[in-house]
Amino acid sequence: MALRWAVFGLAALLLNFPVIATAVTAFKAPGEVTRNPSLWIEEPTLANFAAVLTASDRLNIYHHLGNSLVAALIGAVLPLVVAFPLAWAMVRRGVGRGVLFPVVVNLRALPLIIFAIPLYMMYAAAGLLDTRLGLGLVLAVVNLPLAVLLLVNAVGDIPAELEEAARMDGARLPRLLLRVVLPLCRPAFVTAFVFGFITAWNEFLFGLILTTREAVPVTVGASFFFATAGGGVQWGMAAAVMVVAALPPLVLGLVMYRRITGSVMAGAVKG
Amino acid sequence: MRSRAFENAVLASPLVLFLLAILGFPALLSLVYAVSETTFRTLTAPRFVGGANFAAVWADGAFWRAAWFSLRFGAITAVLQCALGLFLAVYLYPLIRRHGWMVAVLIVPMIVAPAMMGLMYRLVLHEFVGPVPHYLYLWFGWSPAFLSPANVFATVVAAETLQWTPFAFLLFLAAYGAIPQDLREAAMVDGTRPWRLFWRIELPLMMPTVFVALFVRFIDGFRVFDNIYTLVGAGPGGATTSLSIYIFETFLRRAEIGKAMAAAVLLFLASTLLFVAARALVLRGREGRG
Repeated sequence: MALRWAVFGLAALLLNFPVIATAVTAFKAPGEVTRNPSLWIEEPTLANFAAVLTASDRLNIYHHLGNSLVAALIGAVLPLVVAFPLAWAMVRRGVGRGVLFPVVVNLRALPLIIFAIPLYMMYAAAGLLDTRLGLGLVLAVVNLPLAVLLLVNAVGDIPAELEEAARMDGARLPRLLLRVVLPLCRPAFVTAFVFGFITAWNEFLFGLILTTREAVPVTVGASFFFATAGGGVQWGMAAAVMVVAALPPLVLGLVMYRRITGSVMAGAVKG
Repeated sequence: MRSRAFENAVLASPLVLFLLAILGFPALLSLVYAVSETTFRTLTAPRFVGGANFAAVWADGAFWRAAWFSLRFGAITAVLQCALGLFLAVYLYPLIRRHGWMVAVLIVPMIVAPAMMGLMYRLVLHEFVGPVPHYLYLWFGWSPAFLSPANVFATVVAAETLQWTPFAFLLFLAAYGAIPQDLREAAMVDGTRPWRLFWRIELPLMMPTVFVALFVRFIDGFRVFDNIYTLVGAGPGGATTSLSIYIFETFLRRAEIGKAMAAAVLLFLASTLLFVAARALVLRGREGRG
């Protein structure tokens, strides 16, 4: 057992090393960062976080965090809204089983760059470039396959007799879906939302191509701290901004880590 | 019956309309632009050039180098992640069964944005402020130049592997846990040793999951962009230009929109082909092992 604990400790350290080292650096004073690259902090300070939280203009972190929050919420909720009625029709009536289902599920396998460039053209024409809505819409596409998979599985797990009983009581379809099926699918909704929000928050390529100033998400905004003019990168500040940018999905993911396991499984079962 | 068909159409319409608007229309656009010459200034007036863009991509050595990079990167990282993930899942299973929180510790890298991970490696590997070179010098008196042309491929492979091994680990953990306990006990009673138990009984039972994990990790490695782009960009002499990065650079840096679109169409066809082929392999693997 001791050897197993040692292997666990080593794996945890190795896999999480960049995160640990970045978090440590974020608490070092600017002078210490260049003098002391070890994992030991001589004089812990919050100065880097203060600097990140008060930076202005292009480096305004609240602006980036707000953009990420709005876009990730759209990207996590919209797929559930459009996928839910179809998931029910697919399970109970076979709607879209033959073509729609494989097409949507296989979207996951395509390189995102394929979507990014034509979307740039369309967004330029539609006025969606550099908007939170535009970014959120494309993030919804990214999350669509998993939402469909999880909801189809969830509806499939509901005994048909249960729905028939509700029908007998005179419930019409919209009522049946919202009052009977939806509550029973709640775990799937939560799982899809958690994983979708994390995926959307962490997305980088679409932010890089489809936003320039107003709707820049925090993944792209954080990289601005690495490109500040004059004097090179301020590593303490750069480390602090990465901690701030990574914190929301990390907190959500660690609180709900069992959901992550569930979504990885669902995504893999269908390949 | 008519009302039922109508109902079905209404139920399917939100998703279908959404897909048509966000993917269908751009797909048409990309076909138009792929056969046209366009710059950012003449976006609305593409000039028809037929197959010239495709010919330009086909003749571009950088495109083929990028394709080779993506294939190699996808295959190597998939194998490494699955080997490491399988080991961790099987070896740590007795501990994890009693301490569920250990899973949470090991999946942290998956929850960090790949783009952030790339930036973190810039800090961690930096020759003056990075802890990795610091400790290597301290303990061994030597540290490689991680981002030099000779080493950069190994560096990005290691970064991708360490970030996504948890994904394979999760899959294997579930597959291992699903093996019936009495099967193991029966083998133990027969005097089967642990190694033999693993190779002869457990691993064959997990084979379908191994194929799925290899497949999913290959797909993600093949389309890599974020972490490589934020760590080294196109790399020294284009050494880390994946297909995704090639198309991005052709589009935004060189503003060769038609050529970028043609490359994207080719990438779409290649991905679909790879996907179909890999899927067939996975399905055959599943059936073959029952």
